[in-house]
Amino acid sequence: MSPSRLGDAVAFRVGEQLAGKEPWEVFGERIRHYEIHLSGDKVEMTRGPITLEGYGIRVFRGRERETGVGYQASNDLSAEGVATALADAERAAAHAVFPTTRLELPTGRGATGGIVEVLDRGLWEYPMDTLESYVAALRAAFEGRKEFAISFGSVRATLSNTSICNSSGLRTGYGHTTLDLEFAVKAFGGPEGPPPGEYWLNDSNRRSLPAELSVRVGRWCRYAEDVRRGRPPPTGEVAVVLPPQVLAGILPVVFGGRFTGSAQQRKMAPEPGMKLGSELATVFDDGRIPWAPMSSPVDDEGVPQRRRTLLDRGVVSEILYDTLYANAFDTRPTGNGFRGLSSGFRTWYRFLHPPAVSPSSIVVAPGDGGTDVELVEAAHEGIWIQQIGWSAPDPLTGAFGGEIRLGYRIRDGKLAESVRGGTVGGIALASEGSSSLFSRLEAVGSHPAFSELVYSPPILVRSLTVGGEQ
Amino acid sequence: MITPVGLSPMRTRMGELSDAESHLYHTVARLAQRGPFVEVLAEAGTGLSVRYDGHTTSFQTPPRIRGAVFRAWTGTGWTEVSVSGLDASSLRFAEGAIERALTHRPPHDNPPGVSSTARLEKVTPTPRPIEDGAEEEMVKMARDVFSWTTEVPDIHETDVQVSWRRDERLYLNSAAARCFQGICRVRGAVMAVATENGRAESDRFIHGGVGGQEVLDALTQENARKTAESARELLQAKAPPAGKLTVLLAPSVTGYFAHESFGHGAEADQFVRNRSYLQPKLGQVLGPEILTIVDNGAYTGAWSEIYCDDEGHPAQRTVLVDHGRFTGALHDRDTAAALGAEPTGNTRRSDYLSRAYVRMTNTYVEPGESSFDELVKEARNGVLLESGAAGIEDPQGGQIQIKARKGHLIENGKVTDLVSSMALSGQVLEFLTAIRGVSGKEDFALDTGSCGKGRSDFLPNSAGGPYLLSTALVGRA
Repeated sequence: MSPSRLGDAVAFRVGEQLAGKEPWEVFGERIRHYEIHLSGDKVEMTRGPITLEGYGIRVFRGRERETGVGYQASNDLSAEGVATALADAERAAAHAVFPTTRLELPTGRGATGGIVEVLDRGLWEYPMDTLESYVAALRAAFEGRKEFAISFGSVRATLSNTSICNSSGLRTGYGHTTLDLEFAVKAFGGPEGPPPGEYWLNDSNRRSLPAELSVRVGRWCRYAEDVRRGRPPPTGEVAVVLPPQVLAGILPVVFGGRFTGSAQQRKMAPEPGMKLGSELATVFDDGRIPWAPMSSPVDDEGVPQRRRTLLDRGVVSEILYDTLYANAFDTRPTGNGFRGLSSGFRTWYRFLHPPAVSPSSIVVAPGDGGTDVELVEAAHEGIWIQQIGWSAPDPLTGAFGGEIRLGYRIRDGKLAESVRGGTVGGIALASEGSSSLFSRLEAVGSHPAFSELVYSPPILVRSLTVGGEQ
Repeated sequence: MITPVGLSPMRTRMGELSDAESHLYHTVARLAQRGPFVEVLAEAGTGLSVRYDGHTTSFQTPPRIRGAVFRAWTGTGWTEVSVSGLDASSLRFAEGAIERALTHRPPHDNPPGVSSTARLEKVTPTPRPIEDGAEEEMVKMARDVFSWTTEVPDIHETDVQVSWRRDERLYLNSAAARCFQGICRVRGAVMAVATENGRAESDRFIHGGVGGQEVLDALTQENARKTAESARELLQAKAPPAGKLTVLLAPSVTGYFAHESFGHGAEADQFVRNRSYLQPKLGQVLGPEILTIVDNGAYTGAWSEIYCDDEGHPAQRTVLVDHGRFTGALHDRDTAAALGAEPTGNTRRSDYLSRAYVRMTNTYVEPGESSFDELVKEARNGVLLESGAAGIEDPQGGQIQIKARKGHLIENGKVTDLVSSMALSGQVLEFLTAIRGVSGKEDFALDTGSCGKGRSDFLPNSAGGPYLLSTALVGRA
C-alpha cells in the first residue's frame, strides 16, 4: 500500500460508478491496524494486521425548500455492493431533511491544504516492527523501576489511505499514520503505607517517538506514586491550575458544542463580538499543526484545514462550518467536517460515519504567565489538578466536573502534597457576567504542550468549586 | 488435537449471515487440523436511526459491513485475525494468516479453560417486530415527541432519536459449538434544553431494551413533558452543596454505583492482571446485609441482554455481592482457568474488529425493603442525586466517580430545593460500609447505556437498582 498512489483509491473507484447520480460525495479508506496489549512486563496479545477497506456515499437531493441528505457506508466494492449502498443512501435522503436549498460542494480548485506532516514513514513501511520496537523501548524504560509496572494497556498503530471525491470534480487523498497509547501505570509501594495506585494516560500521535519514552515513563511513575499517596482535598472555592491534560478533556467538547454551524442553527452559538472570557483568553482551531492527531491537509470533506480564531482576547471571533452548514448560512466551509469524533475521541476507522461539524485541534494561545513554577507561585494557595477521572463536559450547558484522580496542593506558592479524591467542577464557557473557566482566568502559562486534541499551556483559574473532606 | 466432531451446518433463521455459514464452518474445520482449538465469530447488522431536532431530520441505516474474527490457540497464547468480508477470498486470507501463525509456533497444548460446546440459536422474540413498523411511523414518532417537548415554555432546543438495530452474531468453534443470536435493541431518547438569560440547562429521557416496537411505548407525551419541565426547572436550581454528605442515589445513579464499583472491579481479567482492589476481598463481608449486586446477561428485555457470549458460553445471572458478602467475579475462559472458576458468559467483543474482554452486561443492585420516604427520613440532611449522567471506574484504586444531572437537597428528613449537576466521589469500600438503606422493587429501574474497556471497545450496557442511601464526597460538576 503506497501512501501516494491515489489512482486506485477506494473513493475514486466508487465515484466512477456514480455517474448520473449527482450531486454526491464519496469518502474512502484503506486501513491497516495493529495492536500490542500489555500486562505487567508481558505482552498479553498481539493483533494485526486488521485490514479494513470501505467507503461512505453521501447523496444530496434538493427539494423545494430543503435538501434531503442520505448516507450509507459499506465495505463491498463490487458494482452490486456500490449499487446497494447508493440505494440505501437514496432511501435515507428521501426521508431526511436539511434546511438549505443552496448546495456547493468543494471542488479542490484554488488554495490547497499543502503539506502537513501526518505520515511516519517508518511506521508506514514496517508497522509491526516499529510497534514492537516502541513496546521494547517502553518496557526498557520500566527496567530497574521495581516499584512500578504497566498494569493494563495497549499500543495501537493505524495506517490509512484516505481518499475523497465528489460530483463537483474534487479528487483528493493522503496517507496518514497514528500511534495511540492507553496505559495504566501502577505504583506498588511497599508493605507499609497506602495500597497501590495507578496513573492513567492516553496519548495520540502521528508518529512513533520511542526516544522520548525514558523521560516520560519517569514522569508517569512519579504520578502513579503520587496517586498512591494522595488524599482528598478540603472543600471550598480555590484557585486551580489546569494543565493541557485536563483541558483536553473539556475544551474540544465545549467548543464543539457552541462554536459550530450546527450550534448556530439551533441558536446556541455565540455571536461574533460577544465577550465570553477575560482578555487573557485567545483560542484557535488549528488543523495544520505538524504531527497532531487531528491535523491533515484537508478535512473529511476535502476542504483544506486552516487556523481559525475562536476567541480573540475573550471576544468571539469565528464559527466553524462543514459543507452543509456553510451552505445553510451562505458562507464557506472552514475545513471542519470530520467523521468518527465523539466526546473528544476519534475512532481509527472513519468511513462508517457521515461528516459532522467539529473543531480540529484546540489551541490556547500562550500568555505571559511563565513557567509552571511561576504559575504555581501566582496561585499562591490552591490546587494543581493533574488529572480528572472524567470531566464529562456538557456541550450545551458548558458544565464540567469529576473526581480528582491526581492533584497537588499549592501552599505558599509551591507544589506540596498530592491530592486524590474529591471533586472539582464548574462552567467552561458562559456569557459575560456569568462565572466560567474563561471569565475567571488569572494567568495563562507561556509554554504550551500537546495533549490529544488540545495544544495549550497550563492555565490558572481564580476559583473553582472543590468538594472534599471537610 | 480436537477435531470438529459433530460440527455441522444447521438450518437457521439467520438473515445477514446465512449465506456465509458453510464457508465459515469449512474454514474452522480446516484450521482445526492445524491446531488444538480455533473459533470464529461472524457479525452483521441491520437497523434504522431517525433523529429530529426541529431543523434537521437525519435518517440512517447501519453500515453494510460484515466481517469475522478468527482466534486460534498457538500453544502459548491466542492469535487472531479479523477480516472485513465473508466472501471466499476474505476467509482464505484469514485462514492463511492463522495457518502461518500456527506453523510458526506449532502448538502442543490445549488452550486454558473450557471450550464451549453449546448449540444455541435464538432471535429476539417479540409480538411486534420493529422491522414491521413503517419508516414513516418512526419519523412521525420523533416529530410527535418533539412537539410534546417544545410545548413546555422556555424549551429552546429538543433532540429526539428513535432507533433500532438487529445485531447478528454467529459463533463456531472446533469443539462443535454453534451459537447464533439475533438481538434486536430498540431505543428512544429525548433531550430538552431550556435557556434563560444566557443560562442553559438540559435533561433527557432515554428508554431502551431488547424487543420490538413495544419498547418505544415508553416515549409518551407524559415522559416527554416531564423531561422538558425538568430542564426548565433546572434554570432555577441552586448550586449543589459540596463536601462529605449523606447521599441518596436515585435508581439510575445506583446503577452507576453498581457498574463502576463492583462491575468493573469484579471483571476477573483485572484479577489476573493483579489490578483489582476487590481481588483480596473475595469471600469477605464488605457491605450491609441489605446489599446484593448482580450481573445478569440473561435479564429478559434489558438493554444488554445477550443469549450467549462471544466464546459461546450461555448468558447467566452472576451474584457479585450476596447480602453484603463479595462472592463472585465475571469470567472468560482464560480467567476462569487461571482462578479455578467457571466461565460466566461475560466474554464480549465490541465488534469483529475488537478483541474479546471480560465485560459486564446488566449490572444492578437488587431491591431492598425500605420505602423512599423512609430513606429520606433516615438521611435527615443530605442530597438526593438524580438523572445519572456518567461514571468512571478505578479498579486498582477502589475509587468511584459518578455524575448526576440534577438533585434535591434533603433537609430535616424532607426533600426540598432543586440543585444542579454534581459529581460524587469516594472510596468504594467506605461507601459500602456507610450504606444505610435500599428501597424496594417498586423503585427498581434499569438504564440504557454503553461502556468501554478503557477508552475504546464500547458495548451496550445497562445498570440500575432502586434508591440507595450512603455517604460520599459531593461537589459541583
